[in-house]
Amino acid sequence: MATATDLENFRLLIPSQTRYLNLVTGLAKRASTVAGMDDATAAKVSIAVDEAITNVIMHAYQGESDHLVDIELRFTGTALEIHIWHTGRGLQQDEVVLPDPSEYVKHPRKGGLGLLLMSRFMDEVHFEERAGRAECCMIKRVS
Amino acid sequence: MADLSIHVRESSGATVVQPEGFINAHTVRQFESALEEIVKSGRYTILLNCAALNYISSAGLGAIMGLIETVRENGGDILLCSLQENVFAIFDTLGFTELYKVFASEDDALLSLAGKV
Repeated sequence: MATATDLENFRLLIPSQTRYLNLVTGLAKRASTVAGMDDATAAKVSIAVDEAITNVIMHAYQGESDHLVDIELRFTGTALEIHIWHTGRGLQQDEVVLPDPSEYVKHPRKGGLGLLLMSRFMDEVHFEERAGRAECCMIKRVS
Repeated sequence: MADLSIHVRESSGATVVQPEGFINAHTVRQFESALEEIVKSGRYTILLNCAALNYISSAGLGAIMGLIETVRENGGDILLCSLQENVFAIFDTLGFTELYKVFASEDDALLSLAGKV
């Protein structure tokens, strides 16, 4: 039987297809407001989730549509934690190199901005790989 | 409702592109194709009216970035107007408000292009 603590978390399993991005970002946005964030902050969380899941689909799974992305939202009382697991190629923490926005302005080019948005819009972003599964964990504190 | 619909029209010497909905990895190809078609037809002054754009992810930003040099090399530009708060936050966070001219309204943007502001 589920306990009250279990009910603070919920989980969603989606196919690795970009058509489901709106579904998940909508859910993340609503979850953020339920956690106590204002609309502007909730919108930023939803963008960070879009970027994280897009990275999984396009890079970890290289666009292959027959895999799964496992998403869990955890309400801790002081923050919303978003955990995203997959079995594709995981990003290691030391591989994360954030581009300098001022360099982008001077030398416009495509790509590389998703991680920057995630790091700017969330309070914490972590990557790790364990037991054959890669994880991206993002935390947004409720101020 | 479709995730994204794109309306294109001509106004005061600019091609006004009005995306409605969401630009993300799922819809970006549609957005990119619309922009590429405009540039291929020799129209290099593009005003993105974002009034009905609910959000744009880095995939959409990449589509704009991919064309900025081409339009500027041809004497044109990409301008932005009527950004919703969260869309402005994305552009501003990445420093893109320094790269693109951003206007409060379409009228303001067109007046600026006409040299009246």
